[in-house]
Amino acid sequence: MQSGARERQFLDPAVVARLGTLELKARTIVEGFLSGLHRSPFKGFSVEFAEYRQYMPGDDLSTIDWKVYARSDRHYVKKFEEETNLDCHLMVDISASMGYGSRGITKYEYASCLAAALGYLMNRQRDACGLTAFDDKIVSMLPASARPGHLRALLVTLSRLELGRETNVSKPLHQLADSLTKRGMVVLISDLIDEPDRVIRGLKHFQFRGTDVIVFHILDPDEIEFPFDRATRFEDLESEEEVMAVPSVVRPHYLKAIGELIDHYKRELGSCGIDYHLFSTKEPLELALLAYLSTRARAL
Amino acid sequence: MSFLSPLFLIGAAAAAIPIVLHLLRREPEQRVKFAVVRLLRRAPVEHTERRHLRELLLLALRVAALALLAMAFARPFLASSAAAGTSGVTIVALDRSLSLSAPGQFERARQLAKDAVARAPAGDAVGVITFAEDVHVAAAPSGDRALAVSAIESATAGFAAARYRTALNQASEMLDGRRGTIVVVTDLQENGWDAGDRALVPESARIELADVGEPPANLAITAVRSASNRIVATVRNAGPKARDARVHLVVDDRPGGDGAATIGPNQSAEVVLPGARGVTASVTVDDPTGVAGDNARYLVLDNASRPSVLLVTASGDVSREAFFAQHALVAAGREGPAYDVVGIGAAQLATWDGAALTRHTAVVIMSTRGLERHGRELLAEYVRQGGGIVVAVGPEVDGDVAAEMLGGLITIAPPPRESAPRTSVRALAPADVRHPLFQVFGAGSSSLSLVTFNRIAIVSSRDCHTLARFTTGENAVMECEQGAGRTLVLASDLDNGWNDFPRHATFVPFMQEAVRYVSGGRARGSEYLVGDAPAGLPARPGVFALPPASGERPRRVAINVDPAESDPGRLTPVEFEAAVTRLQDTARAEGRVQDRQQEERQHLWQYILGVMLAVMVVESVIAARTA
Repeated sequence: MQSGARERQFLDPAVVARLGTLELKARTIVEGFLSGLHRSPFKGFSVEFAEYRQYMPGDDLSTIDWKVYARSDRHYVKKFEEETNLDCHLMVDISASMGYGSRGITKYEYASCLAAALGYLMNRQRDACGLTAFDDKIVSMLPASARPGHLRALLVTLSRLELGRETNVSKPLHQLADSLTKRGMVVLISDLIDEPDRVIRGLKHFQFRGTDVIVFHILDPDEIEFPFDRATRFEDLESEEEVMAVPSVVRPHYLKAIGELIDHYKRELGSCGIDYHLFSTKEPLELALLAYLSTRARAL
Repeated sequence: MSFLSPLFLIGAAAAAIPIVLHLLRREPEQRVKFAVVRLLRRAPVEHTERRHLRELLLLALRVAALALLAMAFARPFLASSAAAGTSGVTIVALDRSLSLSAPGQFERARQLAKDAVARAPAGDAVGVITFAEDVHVAAAPSGDRALAVSAIESATAGFAAARYRTALNQASEMLDGRRGTIVVVTDLQENGWDAGDRALVPESARIELADVGEPPANLAITAVRSASNRIVATVRNAGPKARDARVHLVVDDRPGGDGAATIGPNQSAEVVLPGARGVTASVTVDDPTGVAGDNARYLVLDNASRPSVLLVTASGDVSREAFFAQHALVAAGREGPAYDVVGIGAAQLATWDGAALTRHTAVVIMSTRGLERHGRELLAEYVRQGGGIVVAVGPEVDGDVAAEMLGGLITIAPPPRESAPRTSVRALAPADVRHPLFQVFGAGSSSLSLVTFNRIAIVSSRDCHTLARFTTGENAVMECEQGAGRTLVLASDLDNGWNDFPRHATFVPFMQEAVRYVSGGRARGSEYLVGDAPAGLPARPGVFALPPASGERPRRVAINVDPAESDPGRLTPVEFEAAVTRLQDTARAEGRVQDRQQEERQHLWQYILGVMLAVMVVESVIAARTA
């Protein structure tokens, strides 16, 4: 009930997907999301002063305002508006399987909107943001930058992407991990239709290099609920393999398999400190932003 | 397997319902492009093909259940081996009468007969009969069709007239209660049915007509008579155009003169030829294209011996005891007296033998007084051998004796006592004026009703035909057939005792026709038709010497073809079948009783219902798995 009420405050992804440009979509999502918050809870290093707070053991000594100490003989630390120089890389899966959609929005459209919104949010927070699109290899790569004009470049790149071929998540992960020279954050947006262990190994590669990772596992509601009822010939979007099946018979086995896959990701990624978020394309994109911000806050 | 109530099998049509539902509910295959097919592949996928098979199995089970239900209601049973072996029969009846001897006609008939053999259903026994006046079984029903074809090949057209009744009756007997088809290969000549003829065919038998077609134009000598030192020949032109007929007379193998006439289409003309002294004569007409058999007619000029009729009275004094009958029979026609009449007392027959009796064309019994067993048996044998008897059941005839003489075919009761004088007149009314007995009266048959019958005997029979009734409803004239002969029974006397018949003009022709009819065409004594040729003489036209009876001199007789065969009138198939009486198939009725008993012994319907329930259980299990 509470969750439903919360979700009604957000935009329907299918509605967002019908908006014109990615920039408009991103702005609509982020501005709406931020306007819903009373105040930014994400405080940190910033050039803009926010408030004083009494020193608590463990606070960084450099944040103590000595002038205040001189006047009041008490230790206060200065709080500033948030500012980072975080490098964030958005990795968007554009393999053919991302083209599936059943509720007016495909997984790819959902991922694009999410990437655009994250890019917009990062840019707004002056984080450097890069973009890497991949299918079985890296198709497009935009280095991270915090310049104001970079957001436009990122959105244009996103809008020009087309669905590719088969998924091979692990290979681009390793490629990107090898290319990163600076610690930062990697946001993976994918349906993770690949061998889970290979994917997990790729993500651990980032961790090994000190990069935080957030995984947005995007699935269509059909893939989670398997609502088919008639005997159906299922064609694979990537391999064009065909399976004829009676859903009523297959459903329990399928749901068990997809549940085990999700649990596997959740368990394995959680055990190595990687944030894993499963999103159905019917869930509001704002929830993904919230998840990102939570992770980012921890990362700082 | 047979069914007691096969109509219930119509219910098996309900088996179409699941099929129709299956077809109506059939949906096109759904195709979905899906991202995680590999997870489906890992699942124990029920492939659509397997499901399709399962659905087909379900459909088959449902159809089978309905079909089994219908079958159970139809009450099936396994016929006994004897019954199961019963197959159909096809009898091919090939007409070999004279009319088919026209050029090309019999060849066509043979081909039609062979076609009928070839068309007979597989497994049917095929038999072949050939018929004219009589019937010859050329091939008994069997599976050997080559034998049937061979019999057809060896058949030839004869000189006798066609008789459909005998052919159909024989064919019906050969069916022997089995289902079957009678194929009659004929030219559908109208005279093949005698007036009042009824063939008796089981209602289960099918009659097919193979029409040989109309015979070609034909000239025929239909009659020859000697009158006033002249020979008169009647020539018929059975063709659509007028023809010139050239007629030749041969007397004792010497040319006796020629004659000619122009005859209009379908008309007859008399050609008068000069008389000649001799013993035998033949008259021929030139007709190379028509039926050859009727181009000649033979005549015995020496007609001193007229046919003899034996009058059986109480003492044999016919001038006193059979005055009217005697004079009616000896009355002279255009060709002189018709018959010689011989009288005998009934008791005297005890000393006679068969040969003495057969010298007489017919026997008229007016008294049984003193008729002993030997005499009765003699008369019965006489009829069986082809003789003819007229029994006038008058005051001198004992009903029991007459019934025994007629082989028990008929029951004769004495005249009923009438308590009060009748107010209405009892007269004679023919049942069918087309019967040969009454044909001579033509339109004047109503004059028979002028005869008043004061007393009658009550004559009844299940095996004899009623030819005439009294206007009060009792049988007046009955015809019984025994062996090859005929008997006419008049339920009153012929001597002006119980009726005034002898005082009417109709008495003479009635007597002469009655004797002619029972004598079966032998009435002329010296002239026979081919079909009635005396034993020992060939069944073909000509003049032949009749073997003499003891104490008699040899006698020449002329055998001619039936002039009816030269009549081109044809029947339609409907008219043909109209003369067929369908008999309820008693064999089939008995068969049904046996079938019912067989079914009640076997109770197969219970097993079938059990199987149906099992099928429905299996269907339920599979349906539950498929749902």
